[in-house]
Amino acid sequence: MAQVVTTETTPQSRSMFGRIPAAYWLFGAFLLVLPSFASNFVMYQIFGWSFILGMIALSLMFLAGYGGMFSLAQMTVAGLAGYVVAICGTSAITDISQNWPWYVNIPAALLIAAIFATVVGWLAVRTEGIYTIMITLAVASAFFYFTRQNYVLFNGFSGFNGVFPPQLFGVDWRHPVAFYYLSLFWAAFWYFAVLYVSRSPMGLALQGIRDNPRRMSALGFDVTAHRVAAYTFAAFPAAIGGILLTWQSAQISPGTAGVGPVIDILVIAVIGGLRHPVGPFVGAFVYVILKSFSIDILVALGLGGERFQLLIGLGFLVIVFWSPDGLLGLWAKLRDLHRRDPLIGRLVRRL
Amino acid sequence: MRRFARLHPWWSVWIAIATLVLLYLTFAIWPPWLIGLIGKKKLFLNSLFNGITLGSLYFLIASGFTLIFGLMRNVNLAHGSLYMMGGYIGYLIGDWTGYWLLAFPVAFMVVGLFGVILQYFVFRRMEGEDIRQTLVTIGISIVLADIMLWAFGGDFYNISPPSWLSGPIETIFVTGVKRSSGDLIYLKYPLVRLAIFAASLAIGLGMWLAINRTRIGMLIRAGVDDRDILSASGIRVQFVFVAVFAFGAGLAGMAGVVGGTFQSIAPGEDIRFLLASLVVVIVGGMGSIPGAALGAVIIGIAEQFGSVYFPTYAVVVTFLIMVLVLAFRPTGLLGRN
Amino acid sequence: MRSGVQVSGRLSAAGASNALELRGVTKRFGALLALNDVSMTLRPGERRAVLGSNGAGKTTLFNCITGDFLPTAGEIRLYGEDITVFPPQERIRRGLRRTYQISLLFAGLSVLDNIYLACRGVLRRRFSMLRPGRNEPALLSAVDLVELAHLQEVRDSLVSHLSYGQQRQLEIAMALAGAPRLLLLDEPAAGLSPNERQALVEILQNLPEHIGYIIIEHDMDVALRVAEFVTMMHNGRVFKEGNPRELENDAEVQALYLGEVDG
Repeated sequence: MAQVVTTETTPQSRSMFGRIPAAYWLFGAFLLVLPSFASNFVMYQIFGWSFILGMIALSLMFLAGYGGMFSLAQMTVAGLAGYVVAICGTSAITDISQNWPWYVNIPAALLIAAIFATVVGWLAVRTEGIYTIMITLAVASAFFYFTRQNYVLFNGFSGFNGVFPPQLFGVDWRHPVAFYYLSLFWAAFWYFAVLYVSRSPMGLALQGIRDNPRRMSALGFDVTAHRVAAYTFAAFPAAIGGILLTWQSAQISPGTAGVGPVIDILVIAVIGGLRHPVGPFVGAFVYVILKSFSIDILVALGLGGERFQLLIGLGFLVIVFWSPDGLLGLWAKLRDLHRRDPLIGRLVRRL
Repeated sequence: MRRFARLHPWWSVWIAIATLVLLYLTFAIWPPWLIGLIGKKKLFLNSLFNGITLGSLYFLIASGFTLIFGLMRNVNLAHGSLYMMGGYIGYLIGDWTGYWLLAFPVAFMVVGLFGVILQYFVFRRMEGEDIRQTLVTIGISIVLADIMLWAFGGDFYNISPPSWLSGPIETIFVTGVKRSSGDLIYLKYPLVRLAIFAASLAIGLGMWLAINRTRIGMLIRAGVDDRDILSASGIRVQFVFVAVFAFGAGLAGMAGVVGGTFQSIAPGEDIRFLLASLVVVIVGGMGSIPGAALGAVIIGIAEQFGSVYFPTYAVVVTFLIMVLVLAFRPTGLLGRN
Repeated sequence: MRSGVQVSGRLSAAGASNALELRGVTKRFGALLALNDVSMTLRPGERRAVLGSNGAGKTTLFNCITGDFLPTAGEIRLYGEDITVFPPQERIRRGLRRTYQISLLFAGLSVLDNIYLACRGVLRRRFSMLRPGRNEPALLSAVDLVELAHLQEVRDSLVSHLSYGQQRQLEIAMALAGAPRLLLLDEPAAGLSPNERQALVEILQNLPEHIGYIIIEHDMDVALRVAEFVTMMHNGRVFKEGNPRELENDAEVQALYLGEVDG
């Protein structure tokens, strides 16, 4: 019998560690020792950025993959958290920034992001399925235009620069190694948190609502409340991603959560795959690699170096057309090919 | 109307009061206290008219969007790209031939044809998969935006209207009285905007007639109500779908020429107008053409008044309207429950 | 806790002699009168079959009882409590369950997860983000129900990989989750093979005695074997009531029922 795939385990929690294949341990170890041989660029720009975008896309994956709700407002939630850290904490815009200590401004950022996400969720879940995309896109764009016009609080077009992480425990958290471990920690934390929650009553209820909302309400679940609660939960990985993103580039401006980045998060999650929390990170890694090396790739393809959007758009279309489950889906297909029973030609895993 | 009044007495009273106030503000000569309160009448009339003409542009875009959505449950997030494509095509045609009027049918046909291709080769293959179709439209909009950026660069393109349409004309609306002579001062307003308003009105009426009086319109209405009816009616559903998608896309293309004439075409406009049609359709009611008209006028006016009277928070006004509608009537003002 | 006291208070006031009481229930969809003044009384533990042709209003009746639709007029009482305008989940919490004509299962979850959700639906802490422990009551009862519905072999398979008969079995197992007092079974035998039908009849006959049910069934044979009392519906009205033997031999019923089913 083939090993049980994580998405198909039962609520009976078996020993978590016994079932993890050796390859996963190796990969974990690789991520931990990476700073010993990788360059600062690789740690900070490639992996740090992938972890951050992965976390924000993870919050979309949680809503879309488990709840069937394609919220385009997750990048907006991240951007809002980044703004709150810049406004309440320290930045180069001393007129606005309050210089509150980190233990006030970070919880404030998480709280405000969670409240915002809850309100957005409450607005979006009042209508069914497909409207969610429209409503959340409208909310995301409204946030973008609002931050661009508002100078009192958001400092308008230019936003905030000089937003640095606090010097906690005497560590400079913007140093590539420290930032790498910081973002790795939070990415791993939210990866496991989402994996864990997916098997909890809340997570299972969400998946039930995705498959059949009417039946869930017939079973005694409050469908609307679960959906809204999912938005609230998903706000946290997005908000932490947003704070890290702000620290990484030391700035936040309307463009950080503009319509382009909002769509990019969806693209990342879909390219990676919405079936499993690892998907967003795979998608984010591919996106970051493409973005960092797009010039070389495009020149190799005989196009101008600046056609990154074309490349990512076409890649996205290819995935949506041929593998709706993203790169993860492709991987599963390839693996299943080798697992077919030679006599009956069916998958061994499936009864 | 009588039925509406019976069902919603308070709403009717409010609507009646608002109409009377609007009529007074439009036609009366403003007393000084009113000018002291909200500024000059000329400013007010200009924002009102700009709002209505902007609304008519929004209507041209959003009506196609809402029709496609209502019939095929396809949230076409590439609609803004179709608008922009129409604008660039209109610019090229105007530039080459010098005939502004020619830009409209050409943009309509080229973008409509593009719509046919999309519907026939792409969306037909994923019928009933709402989310996947929407994702595809996102992909298409990313690709189209970059191709257009590639071809036209980041410059602003302006389509210039013909000379017989340029310049302002004097309207019948009084803005004030000349203190010296006691003569009435009439509002001057750009003719091209009035022409566009009239054209949108004509297109809107035409669509309404087509949908309510013709056989294919009947089918579309039936399909919006219940898609199973369409397939049961024996008509070739695909034909209706392709026709509607082409028409909606063509309208967006034509709107691009309009937008390129009284504003301009540049990268980023696709997203701006996509957002506008989303908000219009959310406010007016998804899948409803009268809803798109109502939503377009409300959003157009709100945007113009917002930018004149509360410049910092113009977007917030639009957004607040959307949030209020969603909170109290999630299906939109004229949407079905 | 507090609501429990209120419920029992209202129960004693109204007298809990009847499991379900419908009084003049009417449902109108625009011009269509789907249910017309339907009245019906079930004792606790009673097993009732509702027969009738397509469009007789049987499924609409179920939807009104479960709260999926609100009736246009009339009153519905569950164990003496007026539930006419309660939302569905409140009715579930009071022991009402239903199965659906078209399977409405969670295709992306395993069999055990489906039943587990059904067991959790009536419990508190539905928003818990903690994984259930090995000995959580809801999980234990879900495991029991898997056995009761003969689904042990496919316990961890995704529902989308089950056969049709297995899906119907799962449907019934889910309806039995929690502490049901009254089940509404909407054509549970539709599309089943003769063997599967036999298994279904056995599952129904072996249900604990305190669980009553109403079954909509086109297969007269199944319906009459699992019901003590039969209600015949026609055009949204109660057409005739009686015990199975009476109705089976009633010429009017036969003419109507057989005629409609064959036609």
